[in-house]
Amino acid sequence: MREGILEWGAFGLLVAVCLGVAAAGSGYLAQTLFTAALFVLLATGWNVISGFTGYVSFGQVSFFGLGAYVAALAMLHLDAPWYGAAVIATLAGIGLALPLGMIMLRLQGIFFALGMFGLARILQIIASSLEITGGPMGTTVAMAASVNRCAFIMVAVAATVVVATYALTRSRLGLRLMAVRDDSIAAEAAGVNAWSTKVIAFCISAGIGATGGALYVWNVGYLDPGSAFNGTIELQTILMVLAGGIGSVWGPVVGGILISILSTALWAHFPMEQQIVLGALTMLIAIVMPGGILSAVNRLGWLRRKPIWGAGVRALAAAEGYAGPAASPGPPPSILPVGAALSCRSLSKRFGGVAAVNGVSLTVKAGELLAIIGPNGAGKSTLFNLLSGFARPSLGEVHFAGREISGLAPHVLARQGLARTFQTSRLFPTLTVWETVLLASSSLHGSRAVATREAARILAEVDLIDQWADLPDTLPPGRQRLLEIARTLALRPRVLLLDESMAGMSAKEIERVQNALKAAMARGCGIVAIEHVLPAIAPIAARVQVLDFGATIAEGPPALVLRDPVVIEAYMGVEIEEAADDVA
Amino acid sequence: MLTTFFTLLVLGLLWGGVYLLMAEGLNLIYGVMKVVNLAHGDFIVLGGLLAFSLFSNYAMTPLVAFPLVALLLFVIGLIVQRGMLERITAAGPEGELRTLLATFGLSYVVSNASFLLWGSQFQSIPFLQGSIQIGPIAVPEGLAASSLIAFGVALLVHAWLTATIMGKSVHATAQSGLGAASAGLNIRKIRALAFALGSAMAGGAGALVITLIPFQTSTGGDLTVQAFTLIALGGLGNYLGAWLAAELLGLTEVFTQYYFGSNAASAVIYVVFIGVLVFRPQGLLGKVGRV
Repeated sequence: MREGILEWGAFGLLVAVCLGVAAAGSGYLAQTLFTAALFVLLATGWNVISGFTGYVSFGQVSFFGLGAYVAALAMLHLDAPWYGAAVIATLAGIGLALPLGMIMLRLQGIFFALGMFGLARILQIIASSLEITGGPMGTTVAMAASVNRCAFIMVAVAATVVVATYALTRSRLGLRLMAVRDDSIAAEAAGVNAWSTKVIAFCISAGIGATGGALYVWNVGYLDPGSAFNGTIELQTILMVLAGGIGSVWGPVVGGILISILSTALWAHFPMEQQIVLGALTMLIAIVMPGGILSAVNRLGWLRRKPIWGAGVRALAAAEGYAGPAASPGPPPSILPVGAALSCRSLSKRFGGVAAVNGVSLTVKAGELLAIIGPNGAGKSTLFNLLSGFARPSLGEVHFAGREISGLAPHVLARQGLARTFQTSRLFPTLTVWETVLLASSSLHGSRAVATREAARILAEVDLIDQWADLPDTLPPGRQRLLEIARTLALRPRVLLLDESMAGMSAKEIERVQNALKAAMARGCGIVAIEHVLPAIAPIAARVQVLDFGATIAEGPPALVLRDPVVIEAYMGVEIEEAADDVA
Repeated sequence: MLTTFFTLLVLGLLWGGVYLLMAEGLNLIYGVMKVVNLAHGDFIVLGGLLAFSLFSNYAMTPLVAFPLVALLLFVIGLIVQRGMLERITAAGPEGELRTLLATFGLSYVVSNASFLLWGSQFQSIPFLQGSIQIGPIAVPEGLAASSLIAFGVALLVHAWLTATIMGKSVHATAQSGLGAASAGLNIRKIRALAFALGSAMAGGAGALVITLIPFQTSTGGDLTVQAFTLIALGGLGNYLGAWLAAELLGLTEVFTQYYFGSNAASAVIYVVFIGVLVFRPQGLLGKVGRV
């Protein structure tokens, strides 16, 4: 908390000094301050899409230019005051980002990056060829009466946006953004709609850019396509975030101030060489110091991001968890759904000529555990992808809770209680243990109080509470698996798909997982578990189903199936004497 | 009427060759590095301006300058890859992201350097201004020569990629860097070679194109988008697709220019660009390129 006071104190002081200088300083000082604050604003906007969600954009200047033009037109033709024009411009930015994001954020990052690169050029062509924008010569509007007022407002707006961005990173949406950036597939599995999360971030980022454009045109009173869609603005914005620290709230502030000073100095003394220096600096930082200044500061233990909603996690867990698994809340047995919780019929998946899954049928009832075993390449993981919505079956259907679900998105299924783990753990490198579980519980529960209570209870149940503030890569492999299971439990699963979850666990950890699974089953959760560690799963498995070459080769109680000669042959191959007989 | 149509058809197909050379270098770099070099268009412009200087100072025709310029850009590409991009050690998406950002910075370095050396005015080389009469169709000599050279070079590079051990190593690295490394190939060397060769192709293309359309240092960004559109349309890393895309774009541009004017022709690339992003991000022949 002391650190929090320190960083906010420093920020408050900075803003106060800037506001003072903007109000009372010379015209030159005020104008310099305006430019610096404008760039802090633009850099913060770029950071929302490229830093928080990891989708690098090379066309943030598009929204700056669009905002500037829309504001200019609103001032000219609607007689809008500067603030009215700024609001209209912001809405226009969001209005363009929404459809654009819906299309481009479905694509790989490289298409988005280049798409935005092209967008700035398209808008520039449009602005130069329309009559209403004044064509290539541009247009003039009523300039702000005093540069001091302008700078004061700019600093205030930039400071507000920085604070709002900070609030964003402390919110549910911020948590989702970081999860999507770290691993969008795992985020989907935790019930997050990765696509809409990215689109929202893009709209916010575009709105911020457009606001900056509107204030810019009010400041200079003149606009032409070359200055509205100026590539140097893009370069400076990106460089600022990189220099300060990408993906952190304070990065754009630190970088914005430093690079503004640098580029103002360059512009004054070496106007011709400005781009070459800024470009070279961008290269240098991308190559040798990707985390920027803040990563160096973080290493000293300062300005580290604190876990979201993490206050009092231990106290919550103590209040919720230690009554033991049997007392955990859940539907009483009398209202347990009867019959199949999850079933599939004749499910097939072909990749080219290969049938990875070939006509598999399975059923798991509420409260039972079905173990799936089979040699490598038997199609087990593909089967899970088909069941959980990550892949579409070529043939066959999947029923979950009495409904046909093929074609539903993974995050929809996850929220309905069809939760899964992955064969190789998929955790979020920058999210703490606490946040990983909170992500899943908060995608289910609208109330923050319920979501944190649930997350704390589950961490206590699987005994990860002591590591709540750790990052996943500091955990031993068994505990990483445990964390992944905890994430699924936070979705209050009706069916749990576990893909080799107990590989690499110690005996104690296996026992803990078995207890957590038994508790889930007691609540009526059906479990399908792919497992190679048979002793870990056999004691709690009702039935075993064996796959080989994409098809079921045996099925039944564990004790019988594991002695079935067909199964032994699938695992061990044909016995040597037999093989010798065949040759003879 | 029919003569006009056939003339446009021939012109479009010839332009396709020039486009192919502009895009093929980027395709090569993308294939091996999995990253688009955002300075590619600036390399093309740099190549063109170098050819311009060789022409105006030493009266070297673009045909003579072509190998020289390509060699120069080869060296520049080698320096960029060996001295800078190679030092990005992170693997996977983070490495790709950082490489992309670094080439973004590079594009400003290259275009600003060109600006300092040549200024901001449009430059062009007057070369082979006549035309060849083939039946009723008049083909500009410059375009025909550039196109033939471009096709020849693209074909040579393709043959090198598919028929020689070195080329096959590049191909293998493009398909799986890890696999190629396990097979004992020196990935560092292959990456450097691919980046240098891709840059050389960009420079060579520039030396040819500046005889056809005037260059300005700020043209680079447009050329990068153009080249990217072509390889995206063809399917990233797909050489046959890129050729098909280059021909289609050449035809589209020539026909648009004739029927709707040059403003429309310069906008048409962006229409195609958006179309590719919206409808066929996997390219004409490629597989789905979604996350």
